[in-house]
Amino acid sequence: MTQFWNSDFMWSFRHAPVAIVSFCVVALLVFCAVFAPLIAPFDPFDPSTLNLMNGFSKPMEPNAFTGDSFWLGTDDQGRDVFSTILYGMRISLFVGFAAVLFAMVLGISLGLIAGYVGGWTETIIMRTADVQLTFPSILVAMLIFGIAKGFTPVELRDQMAIWVLIIAIGLSDWVQFARVVRGAALVEKNKEYVQAAQLIGRSSFAIMLRHILPNVLSPVLVIATISLALAIIAEATLSFLGVGAPPTQPSLGTLIRIGQGFLFSGEWWILFFPAVTLLTLALSVNLLGDWLRDAMNPRLK
Amino acid sequence: MLRVTCALCALLVGNAAAAETFKWASSTDPQTMDPHAVNSAPVLGFLNNVYEGLVRRGKDMAIEGALAESWEPIGSEGWRFNLRKGVTFHDGSEFTAEDVMFSYQRASSEAADTASWFAPVSSVSIIDDYTIDFITSAPNPIFPDSIANFMIMDKGWAEANGAELPAKDAENHATLNTNGTGAFQLVERQPGLTTVLEPFDGWWGEVEHNITRAEFTPIQNPATAVAALLSGDVDMIDPVPIQDKARVDQRDGVKVFGGIEARVIMLGFPHAADALKHGSNAGDPNPFKDVRVRKAVAHAINVDAILATIMRGAAEPASQLVSPAMRGYSSDLAARPAFDVEGAKALLAEAGYADGFSFGLKCPNDRYLNDESVCQAVVGMLAQIGVTAQLDAMPVQNYWPELRADNYDMYLLGWSPGTFDAEHPIRFLAHTPDAEKKLGSWNFGDFSNARVDELLPMIQSEIDDAKRQAMLDESAKILQDEMAYVPLYVQPLVWGAQDNIELTQRPDNFFILRWVTVN
Amino acid sequence: MLSFILQRVFQSGIVLLIVGLVAFSMFRFVGDPIDNMLGQERTDADIERLRDQLGLDKPFVVQYYKFLEGAVQGNFGISYRQGRPVSEILVERAPATLELAAVSGFLAISFGVALGVFTAIRRNGIAANVIMTVSLIGVSLPTFLIGILLIYLFSVELGWLPSFGRGETVEVGGWRTGFLTASGLKALILPSITLGLYQMTLIMRLVRSEMLEVLRADYIRFARARGLREKTINFRHALKNTLVPVITVTGLQLGAIIAFAIITETVFQWPGVGLLFINAIQFVDIPVMAAYLMLISVMFVGINLIVDLLYFAIDPRLRADKATV
Repeated sequence: MTQFWNSDFMWSFRHAPVAIVSFCVVALLVFCAVFAPLIAPFDPFDPSTLNLMNGFSKPMEPNAFTGDSFWLGTDDQGRDVFSTILYGMRISLFVGFAAVLFAMVLGISLGLIAGYVGGWTETIIMRTADVQLTFPSILVAMLIFGIAKGFTPVELRDQMAIWVLIIAIGLSDWVQFARVVRGAALVEKNKEYVQAAQLIGRSSFAIMLRHILPNVLSPVLVIATISLALAIIAEATLSFLGVGAPPTQPSLGTLIRIGQGFLFSGEWWILFFPAVTLLTLALSVNLLGDWLRDAMNPRLK
Repeated sequence: MLRVTCALCALLVGNAAAAETFKWASSTDPQTMDPHAVNSAPVLGFLNNVYEGLVRRGKDMAIEGALAESWEPIGSEGWRFNLRKGVTFHDGSEFTAEDVMFSYQRASSEAADTASWFAPVSSVSIIDDYTIDFITSAPNPIFPDSIANFMIMDKGWAEANGAELPAKDAENHATLNTNGTGAFQLVERQPGLTTVLEPFDGWWGEVEHNITRAEFTPIQNPATAVAALLSGDVDMIDPVPIQDKARVDQRDGVKVFGGIEARVIMLGFPHAADALKHGSNAGDPNPFKDVRVRKAVAHAINVDAILATIMRGAAEPASQLVSPAMRGYSSDLAARPAFDVEGAKALLAEAGYADGFSFGLKCPNDRYLNDESVCQAVVGMLAQIGVTAQLDAMPVQNYWPELRADNYDMYLLGWSPGTFDAEHPIRFLAHTPDAEKKLGSWNFGDFSNARVDELLPMIQSEIDDAKRQAMLDESAKILQDEMAYVPLYVQPLVWGAQDNIELTQRPDNFFILRWVTVN
Repeated sequence: MLSFILQRVFQSGIVLLIVGLVAFSMFRFVGDPIDNMLGQERTDADIERLRDQLGLDKPFVVQYYKFLEGAVQGNFGISYRQGRPVSEILVERAPATLELAAVSGFLAISFGVALGVFTAIRRNGIAANVIMTVSLIGVSLPTFLIGILLIYLFSVELGWLPSFGRGETVEVGGWRTGFLTASGLKALILPSITLGLYQMTLIMRLVRSEMLEVLRADYIRFARARGLREKTINFRHALKNTLVPVITVTGLQLGAIIAFAIITETVFQWPGVGLLFINAIQFVDIPVMAAYLMLISVMFVGINLIVDLLYFAIDPRLRADKATV
């Protein structure tokens, strides 16, 4: 533990105020999201607790009909905005992490294989990537949504929606990892150290893992960083097109989509608070990623 | 200061450039310029400015003469239309009974989407150049009302351009071009982009408007449309999202026109299905077959709360399948089931569902105003009486196939009677489905009542208004007692315009350019 | 080189075929066009007749074959929504999207590379850090929200820029351009910023990251030691060597610009193919959806090909290796 604290990595962290602040913010938001059921004053996913007459309560002001007061106000359904944000963030973060993990594992594996093995394997992988790229993420999501809808019973659909989002966003992102990893692997492959490793009889897999992977980590981290924030944003975009998380179980993106309908009507809090939360979350992740990239890159020391 | 200056120069430039160019935007582009190809409100509403029918609706929706100066029943089974003389089409050719005959054949052909209007017609005959008879197979008192949107196209023009029939799977000259008799003629048509109209100098009627050029643009995203209105990029938008009504109204320089549409929003049930299809009770016997359960649903829904919040007070509660503005509305049956949670619970207990049950609610999310929010609210309200609804909201292109496949336990439906008459929803929503007679084609839940089926043909052929109303009242009463549907509210109609625009808003949501003045 | 290109074109053809097949298999999940094509007073018989007429009752493989048959002859069918040839509609709409994409791409690349180089050279400067942070705000909000906020600020509140559409356009040889009128140029500003912002940030961050690595490389140190001017080092040596990954990602981002134009065009009612496509989905206008997907497939495959060829031009080490693929 002490060793870790004194490592270069942590030294760099302790001397980067932006990183410390972002880390704290991300940690706090993740904490709030994970423990949302304990923190949130209401359960926005339970329709029997909602009172429609509480709809459009202003922040910190008692509702004109019911006299109830809500910290950040309520939306059109009378849902407490604060609780909804906590629950929404839970979904957004889960979708984001899971999608990036999925894309990263898939993309790096395929990219390394393509770049290192070459030949027909490469052709097939990279042409598949072309097909994949040709379909904008939005379309991929709609396709998967459509197919999943055809096969899932309606009572599972709301839960399915989340997994469909993860697969859809992940699938549309893996190509980025794969192509950059392959591009770099093509260059690294001909360098002496790889050829040397090959000469002394190391297995292809070990070579790829031990030698190429660390060298392509930098661009992968750049993409992964943005991808996490992007995945959260992509989910929001998909919900704008009507294929995101269901409104009965809204993510931050769904909340923003709903909230933007009230931009001109004066109920600013329905849009403002979820948008600020999303901005804070995505910004902190990005800033943290920025620092992480510099700190973990041995060549920048 | 900068803002004021800019607004000023925009005003000056705008005024100098075009005195009475009127720009308006709506959420849907009319998909064709062919008046017989698609029977949908955006198309018919738009083309009402370009084409004209034998009759038309006035500002109060009453039927008045257009291309027919007068009409009278021939015996009991038909109508004679006396056509207006000296009317010319936009290309200068003269309007005669031949054009009416041609348009009838075109609009009632299998390729046309308007054929159902002419189902009661057995034959049409030209008496002379300015007289034409429509013979119906049974007495039909509302026939003239039912053809208010039957638009007359020039025979010579259509034949010369190979547009004798509307087509859905081939290109057609009439899709992009028009030749009508209306107050405005089409100058430019870029589908999905802009459609430009200019006044027709040779129009027979008296000009009320002062427009020299009218440009239409579809804007789908509601927020963008409001922004376009507020920034002055357009003069009028339809619709203004309900939540923005108050703000738009308060803002200087713009105003809203609010009214009630003809569309009634209601909940529908599966009346014939044996089992529930969705939710944790899937496979269990269908509780909605029991009228007490349907009544419990009606009593559980707080329509006033929906109207006050989601609809911002702009809509009106509905008690039957038509709104009070429609002909044949039953004014004695205006009371809705009271909002009564305890009563609803008691009804459920009586029906054997004291512990409630779970089912699937289908809902469109882009068809009616705030449809998904309304369904969410319904879910919340049903939860209060212990009934768990699983909401499945979807775009309309997925919605209708689901309903046709009977894949629901409850659904949301809006109905706007094309004839503005209470007979219309009985024909489409309440009569037992009968493909042969083309009845009950939107009665997804297979509601069936022998007396309603018996009353419908009698209503259709009854000439005497009092007797007809009595029969309409009787079927409305049956539908209420049986709770065939739970009518919720009449959908509001909200348009927004710049302060210098005067216009007339009609409950059919048709925007009639010849009633617009730019001050 | 020639055999490589031929190979690529052949592979691209297969890609297109697969794209089409996948597209057709997904269309039946998008919904049913029949309800949109028929009015309220349709009967079940009408529905059946139209379904038969359009061939919708056939298996999707058959529909796909019919589509291909037509597409080979340049005939993409008739739009269900507009009742006009799809090819005609696409030709009408393409200029709007291409102009928007070109301006956005130009903004993204020029600002992205310039700011990326700047933030890399002045790595610890205040300005560089501010740029890095501010640029992140732009990618931390969804595109549609940025668009709506821009409209709210610049159209509604300030009244400086139009809230929707392309403004006045001029037709030059069948190409409807917004570049030649003041209102057309003004109308381009907000949508192209909305569309280009994300790509600009991505390119900028990538250029910076690559530059930083290259600047630490031994040959740059040698160059410094040899006393070459800082400018020469930065631009002639360092920037050039960051280009391989930058070109990859930029190429990909050009594709993403076209794809994300769907959102931007929806928000700004920009009359391009993206908006056409969204309308087609809402209407289940299968011929338009199919043609659009084919069109952007051709475009993406083309971009891919160009990126691969540029690799050749920039990194000679790849040449020998590629010949075996």
